[in-house]
Formats: sequence, C-alpha cells, structure tokens
Amino acid sequence: MLLTFKRVLKFGWQGFYRSKALTAQVVFILFVLVFTTTFLFLFNEFSNFLISQTQEKVDISVYFKQNVEEAKVLEIKNELEGIVDKVKKVDYVSREEAQNIFILKHQNDPTYLEALEQVSDNPFFSSLNISAFSPDHYKYIADFFEVAPLVDLVEKVSYNRNKLVIERLFAVISNIKKAGLGLTIFFALLASLITFNTIKLSIFSLKREITTRKLVGADNWFIRGPFLAQAVLYVLTSLIVFDVLFISLVLFLNSQLRPLLLDFDLLNSLVIQKGIILGLMQLGFALAVALISSWFAVRKYLKI
Amino acid sequence: MLSFKNITKVFQCKGREVRALNEVSFEVKEGEFVSFVGKSGAGKTTLAKILIAEYRPTSGRVVFQGEDIHSLHPADLQKLRRKIGVVYQDYKLLCDKTVQENLEYILQILGASDESIETDVLKVLGIVGLEEKLDMFPLELSGGEQQRLAIARALIHRPELIIADEPTGNLDPYNTYEVVNLLTKIHQMGTTVLLFTHNKEIINSLKKRVLTLEEGKIIRDDPKGKFLL
Repeated sequence: MLLTFKRVLKFGWQGFYRSKALTAQVVFILFVLVFTTTFLFLFNEFSNFLISQTQEKVDISVYFKQNVEEAKVLEIKNELEGIVDKVKKVDYVSREEAQNIFILKHQNDPTYLEALEQVSDNPFFSSLNISAFSPDHYKYIADFFEVAPLVDLVEKVSYNRNKLVIERLFAVISNIKKAGLGLTIFFALLASLITFNTIKLSIFSLKREITTRKLVGADNWFIRGPFLAQAVLYVLTSLIVFDVLFISLVLFLNSQLRPLLLDFDLLNSLVIQKGIILGLMQLGFALAVALISSWFAVRKYLKI
Repeated sequence: MLSFKNITKVFQCKGREVRALNEVSFEVKEGEFVSFVGKSGAGKTTLAKILIAEYRPTSGRVVFQGEDIHSLHPADLQKLRRKIGVVYQDYKLLCDKTVQENLEYILQILGASDESIETDVLKVLGIVGLEEKLDMFPLELSGGEQQRLAIARALIHRPELIIADEPTGNLDPYNTYEVVNLLTKIHQMGTTVLLFTHNKEIINSLKKRVLTLEEGKIIRDDPKGKFLL
C-alpha cells in the first residue's frame, strides 16, 4: 500500500513537471481563482471595517437641561446600559468636558473663543452619546426620553435631526452587504466553473494515456491517484506564487494605501490577524475545485 | 485456455449496422501459437479488442482460464488484463513516460519491488535492443523502435498469453524478421501467442496454426497452415 502510494505520488510529480504547458495553464487559472477568493475576502473585510466605523459614528446625543445634576444623568446612563439587547454603548459628556472639547476644537479661532469669554457661565449642556446595535433601536431609545419624568430633564435629542441620515446610512450599508454577498457568490461560482472546465479539458486531452493505462491492467487508484496528486501540486504552486506576490505587495503598498482606504490596515487585517483563515480558505476552495474536476474528468475514461 | 463462443459484434455506423464479427467460435489451447489472418476489415482487430475487453461483443461469450471475460467485475477484469501482454497495432505507448518508465509501469501495477523492476527492465530492453534508449520518450523513437518497445512491454511481466495485433505493420523486412523471431522465442518458453496479421511471409515461415477470417467469419482453421487468401 505504501509502495503504491509512493508510486502514485511519483507519477503525479512526473506529470506535473513534464507537462509544462498544461501545468502553466492550470496554475494560472487556479491563480485567478485564488485571486478572486482573496479579493472577495478583502472586500468583505473592508466592508465590515466600513460598517463598524460608520456604526461607531452614528449615535443619539441626548442633551440635558443645565439644572439637571450630574448624578441624575449618570443614573439615566446606568438605566440605559441595562437595556443590553438594544444599547451598545453610552458615553457621558459633562458640561465641563463639552466646554473643553469646544475650546480644543476652536483653539486657533479667536472669534469663537472671544464669544465664549463674553458668556459668563458655561453655556454647554451635559449629554449622553448613545450607540445602538441596529438602526431600528434608535427609535426605541428616542422614545425612552419622550415620556415623563425624563422628558422634562431633556433639552434636546439629536436623533430627530439625524434620523433620516442614520436610516439612509444603514440602508446603504445593508445594501452593500447584500450586494457584496451576491457578488461573492457570483464570482466564486464563475471562478469555480472556469477552473473546473480547464482542468477537465486538460485531462480530456490525456484520454489516450488514461485508456492505455486501463488496458494494461492498472486499477482505478493507480490511474486516478497521479491526477489527484497533480491537482494538489497545481493548487500548492498557485497558492505559493499568489501569496508570495500578495504579501510582498501588501508589505510594499500598505502605508501608501492606508490613507486611501480610510485607515484600513491591509497588513494587520488580512495578513497578521486573519492570515491563517485566509490561507485555509484559499487552500480549501482551490483544492476542492481542482480535486473535484480531476475526479470527474478521470472517471469519464475509466469505463473501458 | 481460451474459447470464443458464437461471438457476434455489430457496430452502429451512421444509422446502419456493420457486422464486424459473425458467430465466431474457436478454442486455443495453452502453449499454442495461433495466427489470425485476413484482409483489412476482415475483423482481426475487433476480435483482438474483444479478447482484452476493450470492446463488448453484441452476443456470445469469451472464456479465458474458465472465466467469462465480459461478465467479470471491473477490478477482476483489471487483474485478468495483467495476465495478458498486448502488442497494439498503434503501440499505445505512454507518451509522457520514458522507455524505461513504460516498462516499469507494468511491473509497478503488479506491485513488484524497485530492485526486481530494475533488473527485469534492463534484461527485456537488452532482448529488444533498446538498452541505449532508456531515457528517451516514445515520440523520440523510430517506428521500429516504438514497435520493439511495445513488444517489450507486452512480455516484461511474463504473461500467460500474448496478443500481437499487426506487430510488424510498420517495420522493414529486417525488423519484421526480428519481431517474429522474438515472438517465436517467447512461444518456445511456453507462452501462448495469438498473432493477428495480414503478412503472408510471416505466416508461411511460421508453419503454425492459422485461422483465416473473411467478412467477420472464420472460413478456415488450418493446424499447420499457410496464408491462402
């Protein structure tokens, strides 16, 4: 058994390095398949990054009247944090913090600072910035402040002003995600079909060889085995070539691309954090397509 | 050892039936040397292909060593094929393997050890005079050399039966004589040989049993026959 396995691997290797044109053709097609897989993975990661970035920026700001004490606001904050299924995060900004933020923001603009000086008291409101898990929850949170006694403590809720923007943004993100999934499936199928047919056609061109092997008494494993070993070698070669190029490009271009990609760190997100998942995905996908197509193609000529 | 029982083979060709073999029956005993002669289209190659189960007969049975070849399980059929050495008219060499690898392949299928394979391959290559061409690929050989390689492949595993379908078809007179000599030697060592040819000189020089085919039928079975067509 071990001897047969060793021989099958040897035949696979011989087929791989001797049929250079065929090898180059199949490796190129698999390279395209791996490229598509990686691009779709990258697209998915980037859209997730965008969504998380946007979600963090979208929230409700509730401004409290100036006479409301800090302890009361913190009590409301605790109450909101208790709504764990809807409220993701609540940040408290005191009146002093709000003033400091304003000063910091306009430190180079004397007009604003002079205007602030003319107002004797701190004109800012304390506030709570609330992030929700889903856009549907903002309505619930806004309604939370519409009832007594809270309604008397609140100066304004910024949700009403931002409502349309928030909902549109989430609709756009949701559509991008849906389109992304559709595109992922479409390109994955397209790439698989092209690879499948290329490998199948390549093996069909070896019909005579397969028939001869059958006629001299080789069993199915002795015939199929080398083609499957060859398929594994095609996959490994295309993966190595692609990943060497990809990692080199990411290393070289990451710092230049980062500002263009809204601070998305390609190296960290794809190579360092998710390199193993990406590698396994590339390997699994390419291997499945190559092995299945080889299997079917060889099977066709085993019926002699 | 081998018997053909009422074998008929009909091909469908553009909607019409072509009867390549018609109720062919004969028996071959172990150790015999039988030649099958006939003009082109007489059914020689169809008969050879049915014998190695490359074709299925339309009706009838082929029994080899007590087993009906065409009702064997695929795995058993492969085992049976290993007992037969075939020299194909079109050689059917493995073009992606070297001369040495073409021969090794047969022994590797049988599970022979690397050491014995090396010894046997060199020995057989010596017999067919290809020891200098070990590392060449079939397409780099001349027609005669390819023919000799095909013969070497057919006999390397010492089969019980050798089928040679037009083994001298592409050879000059000198190489033809060499091949016939080789088949005679193999036969003298106890191997059953079935030779399919339309070469008159070969048949007449062999003085062995001759079955004559015409239009898919055996019209003569001559124990020390001559080519009479």
